[in-house]
Amino acid sequence: MNVSEALPSQEAPAHADAIVVEGLSKLFRERAAVDSLSFRVARGRFFGFLGPNGAGKSTTIKMLTGLLRPTRGEAWIEGIRLQDDPLAVKRLIGVLPEELFLYERLTGEEYLHFAGRMYGLSKIETRGRTQELLEFLSLADERGKLVIDYSQGMRKKLALAAALIHSPRVLFLDEPLNGIDPVSGRIVTDLLARLAKKGVTLFFTSHVLDVVARLCDEVAIIDHGRLIAQGSLAEIREQRELHANASLEDVFLKLVAADVKREDLSWIG
Amino acid sequence: MDRLTALVALRWTNEWRALRFARERWLSALFAFGGMAFGSLVISFFAYAGLRALAAGSPGSLPMVIGGGASAIGFLWAMSPVLTGIALSESHDMSRLMHFPVERRVLAASSLVANLLQPPALAQAPFLAAVSAALSGSLLVFPLVLLGLGLSVLFAMALAQVVGLALHGLSRSRRFQDLAIFAGLGIGFLVSMLPLLMIAGGIRSFRPLLSVAAFLEWLPFAWGARAAVHAGRGEMLPAAAWAGAACLAILAALLTSAVLIEKIYRGDLDLGAAGGAGRRTARMALPGALGALVEKDLRSAWRDPSLRATLLMSLLGPVFMLLFLSQAQFSGRAGTTVLVLASFVGLQAFGGNALGLERRGLGLLLSFPIARWRVLLAKNMAALLFRLPGLLTLLLAALFTAPLQLAPVAVTIAAGTFAVAAGMDNIFSILFPITAPAPGKNPLAQSSGGRGLGAALMSAAFLIGATLLSAPFTALAWLPLLLKTPLLWLASLPLALAGALAVYAMLVAAAARLLERREPEVLERVLAEA
Repeated sequence: MNVSEALPSQEAPAHADAIVVEGLSKLFRERAAVDSLSFRVARGRFFGFLGPNGAGKSTTIKMLTGLLRPTRGEAWIEGIRLQDDPLAVKRLIGVLPEELFLYERLTGEEYLHFAGRMYGLSKIETRGRTQELLEFLSLADERGKLVIDYSQGMRKKLALAAALIHSPRVLFLDEPLNGIDPVSGRIVTDLLARLAKKGVTLFFTSHVLDVVARLCDEVAIIDHGRLIAQGSLAEIREQRELHANASLEDVFLKLVAADVKREDLSWIG
Repeated sequence: MDRLTALVALRWTNEWRALRFARERWLSALFAFGGMAFGSLVISFFAYAGLRALAAGSPGSLPMVIGGGASAIGFLWAMSPVLTGIALSESHDMSRLMHFPVERRVLAASSLVANLLQPPALAQAPFLAAVSAALSGSLLVFPLVLLGLGLSVLFAMALAQVVGLALHGLSRSRRFQDLAIFAGLGIGFLVSMLPLLMIAGGIRSFRPLLSVAAFLEWLPFAWGARAAVHAGRGEMLPAAAWAGAACLAILAALLTSAVLIEKIYRGDLDLGAAGGAGRRTARMALPGALGALVEKDLRSAWRDPSLRATLLMSLLGPVFMLLFLSQAQFSGRAGTTVLVLASFVGLQAFGGNALGLERRGLGLLLSFPIARWRVLLAKNMAALLFRLPGLLTLLLAALFTAPLQLAPVAVTIAAGTFAVAAGMDNIFSILFPITAPAPGKNPLAQSSGGRGLGAALMSAAFLIGATLLSAPFTALAWLPLLLKTPLLWLASLPLALAGALAVYAMLVAAAARLLERREPEVLERVLAEA
């Protein structure tokens, strides 16, 4: 039995949207990292959240996971207003942050045991799920190693396993494929696709646009903290009157890199 | 030459900008540089006066004193990264420069030249001038004496670079890094305890130092200084010989640096992977989320060499303190001394910074949906367990140096004060969180400087608050001793402990509510989001 099959089926909530964001802003000193962001993600959607470096993707994820207080605006996760009950939200979500910090002096297996206990799982549940996750993510042979001795890719997979161990309803993934080898990358993307099929809502950022195009039902593109497009690829093409064959990369470049000037570096070569 | 200049300019520009764009660093730098300059001037005055007196009274001992002194200072300078964890002179960040076509010897030399204008090096200038003036028989030989002493300084800095690079090489293997941290902290601790031991041991304990000084004058650190002594007396031939030897030593250190740079960054210095980890079995034996939190902290601390060293030092500290107390003839008032010591041991819980120990892991910890009072309680329990060796040593001390009946009193006072101080510390660490070092920086460092003077004053106020809050319970435990009715302890000790624990429970509940409200702000501050 694989991990996605082991996840318990979840009842459909009365509300249709897993994530609702209204007028979310974050100012760092005077600079707006996120500026009046509003969008909705329907339950069970594989939602791609795209933008160039420094666009405000990670800041948005930190606000949606309760790690950063918005300067303005509100957010609801599975119908719970984040400011009202952040702990209840944290019970429902799993997070794979971009800046990974794991407890380096625990072994990989100990770390997953710890995470399971933090999410309120019993010892037996934790042990069983740890075993499955380690095997599924090809970490079983490294289970006894301290996290400090893990490679970047192994840490990423371990953090993903910890984010999945309590079977979250909403999964926030900030650049989950960074630093992962192609084989592991395929394992991860297959797992995510299965989770989406099982009704888990995935909020996913990545610069690997062909993967986003392959996996996501819907994307939102932000630039300088502002939402500039949202919908399926076809919808965005239609909204922006782009060619019907335009790829996600074409659309992305058209929307966020329209004003980039390219000088002729004639002296090279 | 262009490359050398560019590299030196790069280093100075980086350091100047690091200072310029951090307001809080300005103030601390101003204090540090001012203190350094003042200290240097004071030391220079005494060095000048002392050396003139020595030259007049016992000129034959000058080479030993100057050579021994140069070696001792040079050794401490070169070994500063090992002894204190802080390099008095740092080398370039070679990993960013290795891909440029620059010879390794140029890299090593530029790093050394750049270090000459570092504040710790500049602060030596008045001292060197004062010593040179004291050693110079005439004004004519003054520059030569200064040059000789400068060679000693240059060698110390060149060797410091070798040590820094060697440590960097070792740090590429976690096993060696752990050992280096453990050994460094241990040596640093013992060095810091030396004065205490010497005070306890009296004047006799200084005698071995004299035989060490005789050996020190022959070390390469002293060669330049010995050239200076000869130059000051007008003995040019031996001066030139010692100066030549010092130059060769500097060259050797520079070449060693160049070789180390090549080996470390080309991956030739393979120290092997960390061993033993593969055999570990996973166990989170303590029950519930609270147990897992405590166990996580204990496991992490025991496997973290710096924390383990701290743990062992918390055991050694009271032992040294007791040795000092026993030598200092306090035994007549041993009972009172032990009880006062118990209060101090308990108050150590303040400043432990319940959330600070998590460093950048705080974001991860607070991402879990666990009640915040449990987090704080677990942190305090782990802190208590870390300090348990200290408490046990105290108990032993009470058993050996004071009447046996005082042992439970001392432990009650220590535990009660600990609980109240830990409760206050929880609130303080939420109100004034410490910024964790950024990714890639030394994870063991805590950049507390950014908290400012206001936080320091508040810290003092909180500590006074903790002392006042725990005072009634300490007094309750102490009362039977004052009334000379030991039977009263049967009631006063449980009451004191229960009272302190009740205050602790209230403080934890308040801190948990505060943390729930301020969580994003605490994280913003700890992770320095901006």
